[in-house]
Amino acid sequence: MLDYILFSVKNLSHHKVRSFLTLLGVIIGIMAVVSMISIGSGMKAALKEQLEQLGSDKIFIIPRLAYGTAATTLTDEDADAIERVAGVAFVSPLYSVAGDVGFRNERRIVKIYGIDPEKAEATFGGGASGYRLLKGRWLQRGDRYKVVVGYGVASDVFSRDVNVGNTLKIHGVGFEVVGVFKKTGDREKDYTIYTNLDTIRDIFGAGNKVTLIIARIDKGADIDDVRLRIENELEKRKGSKENFFVMTQKEIIERVGEAYRVVQVVFGGLAAVSLIVGAIGIANTMIMNVTERTREIGILKATGASNAQVMKIFLTDAAFLGLAGGCIGVAMGYLISLAINTAAARYLGEGVLTTAVTPELVLFALIFSLVIGVVAGLYPAYRALRLNPVEALRA
Amino acid sequence: MVIRLENVVKIYRLGKVEVPALRGVNLEIPKGEYASIMGPSGSGKSTLMNLIGALDRPTSGKVYIDGVDIAKLNDERLAMLRRKKIGFVFQQFNLINKLTALENVALPMWFAGVSRAARMRRAKELLELVGLGERLHHKPAELSGGERQRVAIARALANDPEIILADEPTGNLDTASGMVVIELLEKLNKLGKTLVVVTHDPDFGKRARMRVKLRDGIVREIERDENA
Ligand SMILES: Nc1ncnc2c1ncn2[C@@H]1O[C@H](COP(=O)(O)OP(=O)(O)O)[C@@H](O)[C@H]1O
Ligand SMILES: [Mg+2]
Repeated sequence: MLDYILFSVKNLSHHKVRSFLTLLGVIIGIMAVVSMISIGSGMKAALKEQLEQLGSDKIFIIPRLAYGTAATTLTDEDADAIERVAGVAFVSPLYSVAGDVGFRNERRIVKIYGIDPEKAEATFGGGASGYRLLKGRWLQRGDRYKVVVGYGVASDVFSRDVNVGNTLKIHGVGFEVVGVFKKTGDREKDYTIYTNLDTIRDIFGAGNKVTLIIARIDKGADIDDVRLRIENELEKRKGSKENFFVMTQKEIIERVGEAYRVVQVVFGGLAAVSLIVGAIGIANTMIMNVTERTREIGILKATGASNAQVMKIFLTDAAFLGLAGGCIGVAMGYLISLAINTAAARYLGEGVLTTAVTPELVLFALIFSLVIGVVAGLYPAYRALRLNPVEALRA
Repeated sequence: MVIRLENVVKIYRLGKVEVPALRGVNLEIPKGEYASIMGPSGSGKSTLMNLIGALDRPTSGKVYIDGVDIAKLNDERLAMLRRKKIGFVFQQFNLINKLTALENVALPMWFAGVSRAARMRRAKELLELVGLGERLHHKPAELSGGERQRVAIARALANDPEIILADEPTGNLDTASGMVVIELLEKLNKLGKTLVVVTHDPDFGKRARMRVKLRDGIVREIERDENA
């Protein structure tokens, strides 16, 4: 086998430019597959991890945002009403927003969570969801214009470290940093600024609106029963079920999975098309290759190569073309994935979207490109082996 | 008899036109013989060589190589026969340009399943035998015509075949390098190989112990020195 590979390397390096052009289709296809799947699995992994950390005894009440209306219809009163539902132990309302945050003379878009510190502690059971203070203190009820920052915000977002006692400007309004969290390892948490619900709503003119309500159920309560009761209560208050979702952790993970599958099918289709184009490119080059090398095939046969050996030589060439395209495609897909990460961090805020190129994905892409090469090479290789040696030598 | 042809007919079909290249050839060449085949251009010499070399099958008649009728062999067995029993030397050298002299010579051994180390060793020995020990890593384009033909001869010897077939091996060479090539082939015959050479040059043709004259696809005359 090694001999076939070495022979192929000689053949392909003989026609570098053409080999590369042939590969474009495969390169683009594999590149698309790798970058798309990396985005998809990054989104899925991040969400799943967050939800799992929140715990399975939580129910999420999420506003359903109609197109064109960025506004949530959920309010503090809804949160209070939910807290009174039988089986609900605690409720934590949250107002989250990606805000323009200034530090010294730099400005960045950073995610900000407005919370009620006491309710959050009750709902999440203190440090239960992975937060530990590195410096300073946690927020207190009644704090105004105070923030606690995630480790990433403190150490990575701005060129200089943010420290306790510093001032961050959120939409131009100064906030005192009173605490810094230890690193949690979860980008979502590490790259977020935490402040009091009312303060942040004042700045964004959000009144008593909330963007998420998380309810923790009583120990031993049936989560599906509680979910239903919350839904009924909200329906009563809002008049319909149109404008909100009530979901358990399990349901959210399932929904995300579904959305993710749709994304996968769409991009998978696009990638498949470019891969087919790539395969046709390889087949075409290989047919040209066979025509051009007719004389060489004659020589190979005259010196004792069997049909199977000739076939193997040409299949190896094709497999090599495919694999080479796959390698370049994976490398480019990886670069795109990195670029998306950087761009997302810069423009959407840190931790919103993290792509992941896993070793499994790389392996899959490489094997796939190899298979494409072999399949594309089958017909040309068959043509090569069928050549009559005498005719071939006359070419 | 290592080579025996009985009533061999070969007709090429060019669309609807039939070109008879051989029209009933009978020929026996014993093991270890040195035979030359002469005849005007188009008389069927190459066609005959291709059949003896198991590169093609006859339209009718029998071609026995070492007692086996090649018409009865499938492609696989035919390739095996070429690989083991026959070394072919062509007028146009037919070396692979992207491979070095060493790699070209090693090629038939690759197909025969010889290990990489062993075939590189033997290829080097063979190139030394043909006087190209200093040219191992040159590509054909970097060699003179005479040198290329010597590489081709080394390649023909790779799997130690019984029969060496040379179809106008000096046709593209000047007289001096042609002489070197002929003498090299004759040396192989002295070492025991059956040698069949097609040539245009009567001076070269006369050197063979057995001389076959071909015309219009028919053997017209066979001369033989009986002293050997
Ligand atoms: N592959 C082929 N297809 C058609 N005609 C051929 C082919 N090979 C040889 N011929 C014809 O067969 C005849 C004998 O050719 P060849 O054996 O090459 O003669 P020589 O080698 O003596 O010059 C010629 O008329 C030639 O044109
Ligand atoms: Mg000829």
